[in-house]
Amino acid sequence: MQNYTYLIIGGGVAGTTAAETIRQLDAEGSIGIISDEMCRLYSRVMLSKPAFFLERIPFDTVWLKTEQWYVEKKVELLCGKRATGLDGSAKMLTLDDGSTLGYEKLLIATGGTVRYWDIEGANKKGIHYLRTLEHGKAIISGIKTAKKAVTIGGGVISFEMAELLKMAGLEVTMIIREEHYWSPVLDDASGKMIEDTLTKSGISIIPNAEVEKILGEESVTGVVLKDGRTVECDMVICGIGIVCMQDWFKQAGLSVNRGILANEYLETNLPDVWTAGDIAEYNDIILEEQVQLGNWVNAREQGVTAGQNMAGGHEPFHFVSFYTTQGLGINIAFVGDVCPKPDRTYIKRGSPETGSYGRLIVVGDELVGATLMNRTQELTAIASLIKNNVKVTGKETELGDPNFDLKTLIPAPAPAPDLRTA
Amino acid sequence: MANTNEYERDRADSKIGKIIVDRDLCIAAAACIAVSGSTFEFDNENKAVVIDANAADDETLTMACESCPTKAICLMGKDGSKVYPK
Repeated sequence: MQNYTYLIIGGGVAGTTAAETIRQLDAEGSIGIISDEMCRLYSRVMLSKPAFFLERIPFDTVWLKTEQWYVEKKVELLCGKRATGLDGSAKMLTLDDGSTLGYEKLLIATGGTVRYWDIEGANKKGIHYLRTLEHGKAIISGIKTAKKAVTIGGGVISFEMAELLKMAGLEVTMIIREEHYWSPVLDDASGKMIEDTLTKSGISIIPNAEVEKILGEESVTGVVLKDGRTVECDMVICGIGIVCMQDWFKQAGLSVNRGILANEYLETNLPDVWTAGDIAEYNDIILEEQVQLGNWVNAREQGVTAGQNMAGGHEPFHFVSFYTTQGLGINIAFVGDVCPKPDRTYIKRGSPETGSYGRLIVVGDELVGATLMNRTQELTAIASLIKNNVKVTGKETELGDPNFDLKTLIPAPAPAPDLRTA
Repeated sequence: MANTNEYERDRADSKIGKIIVDRDLCIAAAACIAVSGSTFEFDNENKAVVIDANAADDETLTMACESCPTKAICLMGKDGSKVYPK
């Protein structure tokens, strides 16, 4: 049985960044990365960006590490393999080919896989998802002949893909289950801003709708909605979420909820087993709750912390997460905790009418998060306010003034802006 | 024409002489800001700009650029060679 000092499950940004961090701290310990994809680290983010998608920049831009990098850093990449079992007491991992690997320290950074549609006809040609490089390639190839596209879901995939499909010259219809876009994370006013932008660009939106059936023989020719309406299409992009949980997590004795539970050091309940990235549901010491986030920057930053701690450090993950997206001239940013929960109150900055609208999310007397429409430039200041636990009670008027400079509330000496370090 | 901003760097302990941000490629993911917020910030168009080209050491600056998921930041050596992306 092959043994590794550091074994990492997941070759995405969390796992690869952890390997890179470990190598900076430990020149000799053996490092193995198990990836269920057939390739080295690439930019998942790039897959849905116009420059890449419309082939305006070379395909090879997608690679974030060269093959040489793995050789130089002595990181062994085991492609096309999945973990299927873990014996935490024997420190042994079982793979889908039946082989076993031993470890001293293990990182689970398995991320997520797309949630597949389970309705009738979902296996027809022309139905696409977007998570992996192979998915991206299939869509890039598909848009060359497709004329009419439907996107499913009211989240980031639909939003980014709708713009790209439109730019590629397709007729685009979005089908969303909710009444408004990105509901309930965004309020109706923010959702409507997005919808107005989409509609002005010639994209049709069908809210409060669900697909019942997919039409076509071998290839998709349309979708039938539950209310009986039919939408013609020869391409469908399905963005209905990701699935992170895998059966073997629980069987291995890992504590799980929606993700794998971890403390602030990203340690799981099993000895010498850490977790990072989309799968990690960790104790956020800034928000004081268990949090699970699915985004690039968060995964990368957790990779750094997990790597440091696996190599002998003991540093908590102390980071205000954020996520941004843009398209059709609208910029959307989420900062911190944006989950709509009953204890939240909201302070509004700007208005949809002015094209610049933010909501600061308050719990008790502190900020916990924000949603920003065309106000991404306030992201770092808000992250600093959250990180520094700045009390906002009594400052509601200033916070509600769209021209008030939020940076002035950051305690002196201005700790901005290295968000990672205290 | 590429829509780029160039920032000169003149730290004595640095081999990097210039930071170039491609505004067309920048998607405001903020990875660079997460690694080195003393170097990068967003402007009013939600694009990354350099607020202090000399704030970070070479290692941190390189890491900040490598963290960009769209490779929007390029580093040039003082000798004119490309430091990142290679």
